[in-house]
Amino acid sequence: MTFKCGIVTGLAASLLATTAMADIKVGFIGSLSSDTGLSTLRGAEMAIEELNAAGGMNGEQITLVSADTGEDVTEGVKAYEYLAETEEVDFVISGSIDDVSLGWLPRMQEYQIPTLDTWTSYIGIIDMVIEDPETMAPYFMNIASDEALATLYINFGADVLKAQMGWESVVILAEDTAFGEAITGLVTDALGPVAGIEVKEIITYDIGTVDFAPIFSKAQASGADFIYQVSSVNSQVISSQYVKLQVPMAMTGVNVSALGLEYWEDTGGAGGSISTLSPIPSVGFELDPASQKFVDDYQAKYDTRPKIPHFNGFNAYWGLKQAMAAAEEAGGFGDVKAWSAAMKKQDITLEKDGKLWLRYAFWGDDEVEEVTGRTYPHNARFDLTAPYEDAQPSMVVVQWKENGDVGVVYPPEYATTEFEVPSWVK
Amino acid sequence: MNLRPHHFILWGLFIAGMFLMPELVGKGTLRTMIFACYLAMFAISWDILSGRTGYISFGHPFLIGIGAYTTGILTRRYGFPVEASIPIAVLVTMAGGLIVLLPALRIKGSYFALVTLAVMELMYQLVPVVRPDLTGGTRGISRLPALTRGAENGYYLAVGLMLAVALMAWLLMRTRVGTALWAIGMNEESVRGSGLSTTRLKSFAFLVSAGVAGMAGAFYAHYLGTITPRAFFDINVLFQIIVAVLIGGAGTIVGPIIGAFFMVFLLEWLRPYLPGQERFFVYGLIALVIYMYQPRGIMAIVEGAWTRLRGARS
Repeated sequence: MTFKCGIVTGLAASLLATTAMADIKVGFIGSLSSDTGLSTLRGAEMAIEELNAAGGMNGEQITLVSADTGEDVTEGVKAYEYLAETEEVDFVISGSIDDVSLGWLPRMQEYQIPTLDTWTSYIGIIDMVIEDPETMAPYFMNIASDEALATLYINFGADVLKAQMGWESVVILAEDTAFGEAITGLVTDALGPVAGIEVKEIITYDIGTVDFAPIFSKAQASGADFIYQVSSVNSQVISSQYVKLQVPMAMTGVNVSALGLEYWEDTGGAGGSISTLSPIPSVGFELDPASQKFVDDYQAKYDTRPKIPHFNGFNAYWGLKQAMAAAEEAGGFGDVKAWSAAMKKQDITLEKDGKLWLRYAFWGDDEVEEVTGRTYPHNARFDLTAPYEDAQPSMVVVQWKENGDVGVVYPPEYATTEFEVPSWVK
Repeated sequence: MNLRPHHFILWGLFIAGMFLMPELVGKGTLRTMIFACYLAMFAISWDILSGRTGYISFGHPFLIGIGAYTTGILTRRYGFPVEASIPIAVLVTMAGGLIVLLPALRIKGSYFALVTLAVMELMYQLVPVVRPDLTGGTRGISRLPALTRGAENGYYLAVGLMLAVALMAWLLMRTRVGTALWAIGMNEESVRGSGLSTTRLKSFAFLVSAGVAGMAGAFYAHYLGTITPRAFFDINVLFQIIVAVLIGGAGTIVGPIIGAFFMVFLLEWLRPYLPGQERFFVYGLIALVIYMYQPRGIMAIVEGAWTRLRGARS
């Protein structure tokens, strides 16, 4: 009898303990095998650890479960369903790529789970927030959308590529992905009219391409002054072949692999001279003390790649804290509208040497951004005009040097080094 | 048709069991079952052509994609109601499949498989670039109108469709046409020698297969709410369909269903323990072991066990 009582008491105690521990559940959705996915996951893990150490959210401990998408659209839908229906999470943090996010968005609209996207920058999703504010209320994107990224990149085109380098025509090498298509469209639309650079040709290549020699030959044959590459998958391949083949024209653009510190290692040291647009913070970007502490703590905790989180790792870290702060204000995640309203008001300002350096905030619903003349509800706040007193620029351009150093080359307010063409092009 | 009472009893039990599921399992499991139901429909559709006639098609995602994209374009770009867009999608799939793939039925063996694979790959490359204003390019089409909301309604729709498709295929295979299709798979020359038009028979099988694929693809697109080339024309979609049929048991109706449920559930069950891509390795290993143990799939294992049990009793 005593033994049975002991079992019952033990079971009841463990049940109570489990109940007490199962507090706020955060679900991570993204690829568990990519640097970008891991950056978001680890940023979220670190934020949760810190929040729990400080007493949790309204006294409740926060737990994290993850659902791998494998960067596959259908797996992404299944992953979101798993988080919503099986794990019954309160909040979702995403490190998904564009079409994977688009895949699970209908589920988010159905379940109405507060969700923060830290990687995808697709402006079409912000358009969905504008068109359907009711069902998109739980959605936030804390990276500047691609239109803002491209707008500032066009400034780089005008100020540096055209004015400084004297280049007047470009050939675009774009991978055959949703990301490639979007960036190509935005750049093509604006490079000519705004920066005065003619787009000679657009060459699309498959993401499984391993031999870029014929593609580079075609690019040379176009007669353009420089190459603009758009690459988010296996980007180190095109970079390293560009260097090894010593293609006699400069190459800039968007190269996602060059956003991580592993880039040099991944290209076998053959990645010098590649420059890429990067959301902030990037490699080579000077950090404010708070962001530097995050990186130091990150490196003390994780000894596998990515050695430094990509920009979305920072977004996840600060964004998750903001989501929890909004939930505290809204009395939890249950009242989505209240949480959404509280999330919109979140504003973290990080200063460096007395100057606003980074800002994690969102655009107001009806607030019009002056340069693009449009609204960006639920999108990360950015500033497209120097000297960037309202927020950080939507992006920076970083360049890997031939000796393996990396630095920011644009905009000048954040630059740490000069833009250079490869030695073999000179 | 040689229908017997036990057929009706078994089908009745199967249907009743499937419709009772929402009372027995949680919503998360129902969501998994919805995916399994759609994969089962794709697998049955593939099996009607390839499992019976032996013409291995690698172009099935092409047919599924046509159905999905047709309804997607009609509803989102032209404001068609779903009730009209889905039947049109089925017809377009059948017509599109006929135009593109039917000539390939004159080729045999691995050549047929390669031609169908080429068609699928061509579609994957063309969709993003041809009329991206309609297809949405590589990002596809979002915000397709939903037919149902919630796990239970989605389940009833998916399982209802799957059962209807399975029953239709089962009845078809019990007709003389079904027998002739089997015979083509075993010896096409003999069938032709007996005076039957194998071209007509294969065309018929192909049309039925395409119709089912188009219908399932269209409903699946509305279930997902979004369509992208990668979700439909990817080689992985093809692998899933073929593995579901082979693991379950080709040339049967229940086999592809079992295979589809086995595949989808195994991956979801592994998710909490192996959240990363390792679960695909484990799943592949299990599928390989099953296939090596019994190349005719789980159905043959079950039938063998049933025969042994009856033998032991008698």
